[in-house]
Amino acid sequence: MGEIILRVRSLSKNYPGVCALRGIDLDIERGTIHCIVGENGAGKSTFIKILTGAEKRSGGDIYFQGKEFKPRSIREAMNLGISTLFQELNIVDQLTVEENLILGREPHRYGIIRKPKYSERVFQLMNDFAPDIPLKKRAGLLSFAEKQVIEIVRAIAADASLLIMDEPTAALSESETRRLFTIIKSLKREGLTVIYISHILDDIFNIGDVVTVLRDGEAVDTNSVKEISRDELVRMMIGKVTTDKYVPRMVDYKEKVLEVINLSTNKLKRISFCLYKGEILGFYGLRGSGKTEIVLSLFGLDRPGEGSIFVQGRKTYFKLPRDAISQGIFIVPEERLTEGLILKLSIRFNISISNLDSIASFGVIDAKDEIDLTKEYMRIMSIKARNVEQQVATLSGGNQQKVVISKCLHAGANILLMDEPTRGIDIGAKEEIHRIIRKLAEQGNAVVIFSSEYSEVLSLCDRIYLLRNGEIVKELKNQEAEPEEMLRVITGGRWNSHEVKLE
Amino acid sequence: MVVVGILIFIIALSFLSRSFLTLTNFNNVTRQVSFVVITGCAVTALMISGNFDLSIGSVLALTGTISAILVTYSVPLWLSIILATLVGSGIGLLNGFMVVKLNIPSIIATLGTMYAARGLALVITGGNTIHLGLGENFTLLGRGYLGMIPITFFIMVIAVLLFYFIESKTTLGRYAYAIGGNRRSAFLSGINVGSIVVLLYLLVGSLAGFSGVLMASRLGVGQPMVGVGFEFDVIVAVILGGTSIEGGEGSVFGMVVGAFIVGFIANGLNLLGVHSFYQSIVKGLVLVGAVLLDRKIKEMIVE
Repeated sequence: MGEIILRVRSLSKNYPGVCALRGIDLDIERGTIHCIVGENGAGKSTFIKILTGAEKRSGGDIYFQGKEFKPRSIREAMNLGISTLFQELNIVDQLTVEENLILGREPHRYGIIRKPKYSERVFQLMNDFAPDIPLKKRAGLLSFAEKQVIEIVRAIAADASLLIMDEPTAALSESETRRLFTIIKSLKREGLTVIYISHILDDIFNIGDVVTVLRDGEAVDTNSVKEISRDELVRMMIGKVTTDKYVPRMVDYKEKVLEVINLSTNKLKRISFCLYKGEILGFYGLRGSGKTEIVLSLFGLDRPGEGSIFVQGRKTYFKLPRDAISQGIFIVPEERLTEGLILKLSIRFNISISNLDSIASFGVIDAKDEIDLTKEYMRIMSIKARNVEQQVATLSGGNQQKVVISKCLHAGANILLMDEPTRGIDIGAKEEIHRIIRKLAEQGNAVVIFSSEYSEVLSLCDRIYLLRNGEIVKELKNQEAEPEEMLRVITGGRWNSHEVKLE
Repeated sequence: MVVVGILIFIIALSFLSRSFLTLTNFNNVTRQVSFVVITGCAVTALMISGNFDLSIGSVLALTGTISAILVTYSVPLWLSIILATLVGSGIGLLNGFMVVKLNIPSIIATLGTMYAARGLALVITGGNTIHLGLGENFTLLGRGYLGMIPITFFIMVIAVLLFYFIESKTTLGRYAYAIGGNRRSAFLSGINVGSIVVLLYLLVGSLAGFSGVLMASRLGVGQPMVGVGFEFDVIVAVILGGTSIEGGEGSVFGMVVGAFIVGFIANGLNLLGVHSFYQSIVKGLVLVGAVLLDRKIKEMIVE
C-alpha cells in the first residue's frame, strides 16, 4: 500500500428530506486510477460536489495530502490541488484554444494582455497530449473530445495532484476514448492520481486500478480491479432487491393505445413498440441512449425524420406539445424544475395550467372550481403542503413530482410519458411515486417509464425495452428480466457515439 | 416598505408645501400620471409575460397626431378616436408578429417600431404641430371634468379595474404569469405561447394608441414630438410596482402605486421649486434605490 493522498472518513450529506451520503469511508492511493461506480442516485455526483467544494458536507472529515480539506468553492479546491473534469465543459467557444488554455491567467501589464509565453507548462503539455490541435483555432470548432483535452491540460497545468473525471467517455467515440485513456495513463506515470467516475464497465476494466462501489449513499466495497470480475461488480452495484417489488398485473394485450413504427431521427434508429391500456412499459438505458429523444418525438418537440405514430389506432402527427396533449399524451419531463413546473407560482396555478379551459367560461377562471380541483389532487396524491397557494419552489422533490403528475391528469392524459420519474427524489417518496404510477395504470391509463435505474423499471414495468445507442436492443417481460443481464446489455460493447450527445 | 417611505415623503411634502394636499394639485398629478397608468396596465401584463415594448412613446405621438389630422379632415371625433387607437393596435400586432413569428428579441423589435413610428408621426405632420380646425370638443376627453374629477381619472380607473380583472381572473392573465414564470414549462403544458404574446402586444399597442389620443386632447394639439421617454416612465412605474424584469411576477395595482410615486415626487419637487434637471436625478435614484431595497427585503425574508 502506497501513500494515501485522499482520506475520507464517515462523510455524509443530507439534503432537505433526502440522505444522499450516509457515512462514506474511502482511501485513495497516490498515483492510482481509482474508479467509483454506482447506479444513478447512488451518491456519486454528491460525492464529487463535496470534493470539489461545490456543496458543503453535512458531516465527516476529508484529509488531502495529510491536511484537513474543507474547500468552500471549486476555485479553492483547485488551488489546493484537486481539479475536476465535469461533464459540462468550461470552455468558451468564442475564444481560441490558446486563449482558453490561459483563461483567467493571461499575462498582462496594466490590464493589457500580452503575448503568451509558449514555453509555459500549459503549452508544453498541450503539445505532448494533442499536438494536432491548432492553438489559434476557435474552440467552438473543436469536437467535444478535443475540448476535453484542453480542460485536462488546464487542470494539470494548474498543478493538480488529484484529477476527478465525471463520466468522461459518455460523449466520446471509440477512437476518442482510446486517446483519452492514453492520456490518463501517461498522467498516471507522472504521478497524478485520478478519481474516475463512470458506469461504463468497460472503461473501468480498461484503465482502473482500484474500484469502489457506491450504493444508496454508502461505499459498499473497494477492490483491486485485477481481482474482481465483471459479474461481481454488477452484483455489488445492484445489491439486494428492495421491498418495492413488482406485482404482476392483468394487462389486456388486445387494446393498443399507442403504436410507434420505425421512428427515426438523427439520434434514434427505427424505434418500434406498442403500448397497451393499463400497461406500464419501461425503456431502460444509460444517459444518452436515446430515452429523452423518444419522449421528445412522441410529444411533438422533435420532428421525427421517419416513422409513424398511431394513437388508439389512428395515425397521428404531432407538430407541437398541444397536439400530443389533445390526443391524451402528456409528459412528466426529466427536468422537473425547468420543464415540469413554474417554480414561482403556486400549487394551484401549476396544476390547473394544463387545462384552464375546463374551469373557465369565456376566458374567466372559476376560482372556486380551481381551488376545489387542486384540493382534490392534493388529497388523491397526498401532496404535503400548507395550502393550495404554496409556491411549488418550496415543496420537496417528491411533492413537486406529484404536482407534475396531477397536472398531467388534469390535462386529461391517459398516456403518460415519464422521463426519469424519481430522479432526485429520496427513497421513501420514490416508493410513493411508484405506488401512484401503479394506481394510474390500474385505472386504465398507460404509462411509459424512461429510466436509467434498473430497480425502477424492474419494480414497475410489465415489459421492458433495453435501449442502447438510440436503438432498441432487446424486449423483455418483467418476469424474465435479470438485473445483471439488463445492465450488461445496455452497457454492452462500446459504441460509436458521434450521434450520442450528453442529454 | 417602499410604499411606507413614499408615504413619509408625501406627508413631509404636505407640511412643506401648502398647495400639495389640495384637490387641484391631486387632479394635476392624476392627469399627468393617467397616461402612464392607462398604457401601463397593458404593459404590466406584457412584462409579466417576460416581454418588453419600447415603442409606446412613439405610438403615443403617432396616434395623437393621426387623431388630430383626421379631425381636421372633418372625420367625426368619435371615429377619429377609434381609428387612431386602431393604428396603435396595428403597431402592437406588428410588434407581436416580429417577436413571435420572426423571433426577434422584444427589445430590438420594439426599438425598431419606436424609431419607425416616431418617423411616421413626423412625416404625416411635416414636423409641424397640428392645431388649426380641431374644434372645441377635441379637448373634452383630456381636459374635461365630471363633477370635480377629471374625465381622464375615470378612464384610468376603468383601465386599472379591467386589467386587474384580466390579471387575476382570466386565462389570459394566468397564461401571462405562466409564460413569464417559465416559458418552456408553459409551452410543454400545451399553452399557445405565441398567440398569447401577440395578444398582449396588441393590448399594449391599443392602450398606447388610446393614450395618444387622450394626450392630444389634453394638449389640444397633435404634436409629433410628444411622449419622448414615455416608454421609460411606464417601465419605471411597472418596475417600481414590483414586476420582475424577468417576468412571472407583478401586478397592475403595484404599477399604479409606482406611477403615483413618480408623479408625486415630481410634483412635490416642483412645488418645492426644485429645478427639473434635479428631478431627473431624483427619479433615477428612486428607481435604483427602490429595486435594491425590494431585493434586500426579499433576501431577508428568505433567510
